[in-house]
Amino acid sequence: MSVALETRVEATQAEGYFGNPWRRPRILQAITAGYLLWSLLPVVVAVIYSFNAGRSRIVWQGFSLRWWTDDPTDSILHDPAMRSAMTQTYKLAILTVLIAVPIGTLFAIGIDRWHGRPARGANFTMLLSFVVPEIILGVSLYILFTNLISIPLGTPAQLLGLTTFQLSYPVVIVRARLLTIGPEYEEAAMDLGAAPGQAIRRILLPLIAPAVMASVALVFADVVDDFVTVQALQAGASSETLAIKIYSASRASPTPEINAAATVMLVTTLLVVAGGLLIYRRFNRGQTVAGASDFMQI
Amino acid sequence: MQSGVWYPRWYWPSFTITGIVWLTVLFVLPAYVVLSVAFGAVDFEHFGQPVPYYAPWWWSFSTFNETLTQFYQGSAIYQAPLIRTFVYVSSASVICLVLGYAVAYFTARCTSKNKGLILVLLVAPLWISYLMRIYAWQGLLDAGGPLNVVLDPFGFGDTDFLSGLHITVILGLVYGYIPFMILPLYASLDRIQESLLEAGRDLGANGRQTFWRVTFPLSRPAILTGIVIVTLPMFGDYYTNDLLGSSKTSMFGNLISAQREFTGGSTRMASLVLILSVIVMVPMMYYLRETRRAAERGA
Amino acid sequence: MRHPKDMNRRQFLTRAGGAALAVPSLGAILAACSKPGETVSGSESPSDIPIATLENPVTLPMNRDPIAADTPPESGPLVLYNWADYIWKKKVNEFAEEWGVDVEITTFNNMEEGIQKVSNGQVEADVFVPTTNYLRRLVKDDLVQPLQKELVPNISSVWPSYSDPGPYYDVGWRYTVPYTIYTWGVAYRRDRVSDDEAASQGWDALWNNENAEAISLYDSYGDTIAVAILRNGSLEVNTGDEALITAAKDAILQTINENKARLTINGVYAKLPAGDFTVAESWSGDIVGAQWYLPKDVEWDVLGYWRPPNGQTMIGNDTLAIPTAAKNPRLAHEFINFFLDEEVGYDNFRYWNGYQPPFSSIDPERLIDDGVVPPNLPMAVVTEDMFKEDLTPYELVPEVDLLWQQAWTEIKAGA
Repeated sequence: MSVALETRVEATQAEGYFGNPWRRPRILQAITAGYLLWSLLPVVVAVIYSFNAGRSRIVWQGFSLRWWTDDPTDSILHDPAMRSAMTQTYKLAILTVLIAVPIGTLFAIGIDRWHGRPARGANFTMLLSFVVPEIILGVSLYILFTNLISIPLGTPAQLLGLTTFQLSYPVVIVRARLLTIGPEYEEAAMDLGAAPGQAIRRILLPLIAPAVMASVALVFADVVDDFVTVQALQAGASSETLAIKIYSASRASPTPEINAAATVMLVTTLLVVAGGLLIYRRFNRGQTVAGASDFMQI
Repeated sequence: MQSGVWYPRWYWPSFTITGIVWLTVLFVLPAYVVLSVAFGAVDFEHFGQPVPYYAPWWWSFSTFNETLTQFYQGSAIYQAPLIRTFVYVSSASVICLVLGYAVAYFTARCTSKNKGLILVLLVAPLWISYLMRIYAWQGLLDAGGPLNVVLDPFGFGDTDFLSGLHITVILGLVYGYIPFMILPLYASLDRIQESLLEAGRDLGANGRQTFWRVTFPLSRPAILTGIVIVTLPMFGDYYTNDLLGSSKTSMFGNLISAQREFTGGSTRMASLVLILSVIVMVPMMYYLRETRRAAERGA
Repeated sequence: MRHPKDMNRRQFLTRAGGAALAVPSLGAILAACSKPGETVSGSESPSDIPIATLENPVTLPMNRDPIAADTPPESGPLVLYNWADYIWKKKVNEFAEEWGVDVEITTFNNMEEGIQKVSNGQVEADVFVPTTNYLRRLVKDDLVQPLQKELVPNISSVWPSYSDPGPYYDVGWRYTVPYTIYTWGVAYRRDRVSDDEAASQGWDALWNNENAEAISLYDSYGDTIAVAILRNGSLEVNTGDEALITAAKDAILQTINENKARLTINGVYAKLPAGDFTVAESWSGDIVGAQWYLPKDVEWDVLGYWRPPNGQTMIGNDTLAIPTAAKNPRLAHEFINFFLDEEVGYDNFRYWNGYQPPFSSIDPERLIDDGVVPPNLPMAVVTEDMFKEDLTPYELVPEVDLLWQQAWTEIKAGA
């Protein structure tokens, strides 16, 4: 072996573990493992304790379906207040998705191609609505609805508020996707004789479909989770959502019924996300472009 | 857009019109109404309902001034929450950044076998309700609960973590917002091509140098995005403190939410919201300027 | 449905403002643009009603006619706006079954929140449970409606003084019927603080460093500031004296900072039995109701309640009233009547609430013998003569209210 090579080998061996640039970073590994545990363990515990036989959420008193179906007044099956909260939550989620995603997608397409000052202004406003602390939005809308535009508080107000807050999500996600697509496909289609509307419908929309699916899932999950806006614009028991129930219960005397309700929220959201992923996979079998990364976009 | 196709000038803007109208009515207009209420009067005869003055020349700044002076004059009762909010948000953001970067880096660059699984686990908190996660923590932190048991050998067996400790609220904020930091960082780190790093190494840089001179600068835009997405909403957070803290750890958001129950509270809420908006605007403008510069540089 | 003539200024502007966006009409725009305070058509200035005190009882003016006695019962759902955990769901369900309607319960955590939401229309309740010191403003703002007395025959269950002449705040019981009566005191765990210790410390138990990290105060500015005023030695629980208010505020801050006292609303019935708190500011009903929240292995005799001697604490009562915006006023009357029934009210108290209703049929002396009030809580029983001697929280005029709010904001902001 040449001297240089020998030296190199010796150097690597000498430095041992820390010398190898391709080693497995143990510290980072530990940190990541620790983080994942910290992040998910409480949720797992909460889900498990929804099956607690006793009233406590930290002291295990046996397995039971009491809070799910058995208890005649305090199980989520038999508690009308809880059922109404669940209905309200999903009602708001579905309606918000139906309104926010189309408007947001159209906005993203338009803003991507439109240049000029007013475009930048519109874009700025949209981005602003993305990072503004939710309490500002909630309180502003509350003040708006109780002073100027008399929209009744409760479901109508909550719907408008949620849509406003969620509008920027589809925009950001679809826009990110559009940036990677570019105008070539539509132009090719139009060179081949398609009208602009056709080009958009048949070329562009399918291309951005994964991003749209991702925003559907994200908006849905976000609305199910939303607390500040629905609390600011609520009008009584009928417009309370699961998030509000969890919040009030955790400041009072929570029973594992809340754990059960939260588990339901968790499962349905995960189902929706998984469903979205599956639908996307089905419709995009040919595409290998990392559409899944759209689900990772914020 | 150089192409052989001609679009009418109104074509693309028309796509945005619904969004623009929506935002104008439900985002921009409420901002004006908030101004009108903050600078309006209070009807003490009728449970302190706000009386908005819509025309700027009637604006009265007395209530607003009252609120503003609470920050620096006299007993300055709002000063402590304001300072606390800044301290909490910056501490939490720093922790989010450092911890989040480590996790994102590891997932993006150091795993290949389990990458998918780890990614799913990282993304999962986004889909799980924030309230549920904090609620779960509340249970664990309860006096005499699991955390006390685990930390007993370290002397923390008797600490009531929910009795208004700063660290509880800070870590609570980190817990809630860190997924929003990890994801843009991951996305950006994932995209850095291996060849760039190898090139650096071929030129003689060791691991650490490669990181600081190649990887880190390439991930800067994502760091900025992550910080903005995490820090700005945190300024208005009040429910983390409601669930994990006490009045001694109250934040700016708690000041706003406390006014809800007072007669005359709406006007004060509006003033506080105004002040918070101004505070949040500054970093927001900086962020937008940076992204525009970056876009210009990139294009 | 409210008659357009009954709209106040603010609602007129709101409607006008909303209409201006929909169909711009010159009149509407002019109305929205005119500075509030100038004459706007459609407004009436309500006549002033004096603040009621024991010495000056007030007959509230009729702001409208009560509903006709033969109004057919509506189909619901009936909306009850109440404190959290303050009514027995079983009895509510019984009412619901009897009348074939749904009953929704919306809750508030403190009185101010409840008042705010009723006054701005955020909650459209059929039955509301206000404390007495807000009644005048509710009537003045046309937020509650007079009762149709023919629909509430069960008023006969109540102490006669409540119907004839009627309570000082509502002579002739035009708008309200009483729901519960209670006093203010200190609830404590008898296994950690003996009865003698509690009696000798009195309010100071809430300031005692030995109870650090286990003290609860009510998250309600009216109650807690008044208690602090009492603890500081004054009996002026409705004071506008800044010095007294500041001293009270400082005292509260002191116990929060030094003893890590917590502000809760359910600390007494939900957390004291579980041992999270050792002492707590308490209404008498909360500690009686706490027996239902005891964990399995804890005996009910750990609960204790200390009440200052007659004349040195506050006494109060909650009322049931019907908001003007009620969609089911007939049903609301029936609901009120249902809970004034001797048996229903007694069961509600005995098996769930812990709060005594002022019924003639309930003999306070026998409550302990009958096992309704645990024998370790003798001071939680409320008798009619207490009303003559104890202090009553009155409504605070806006300027004074502002001082109290200011003090409370400072406390909540955590200096």
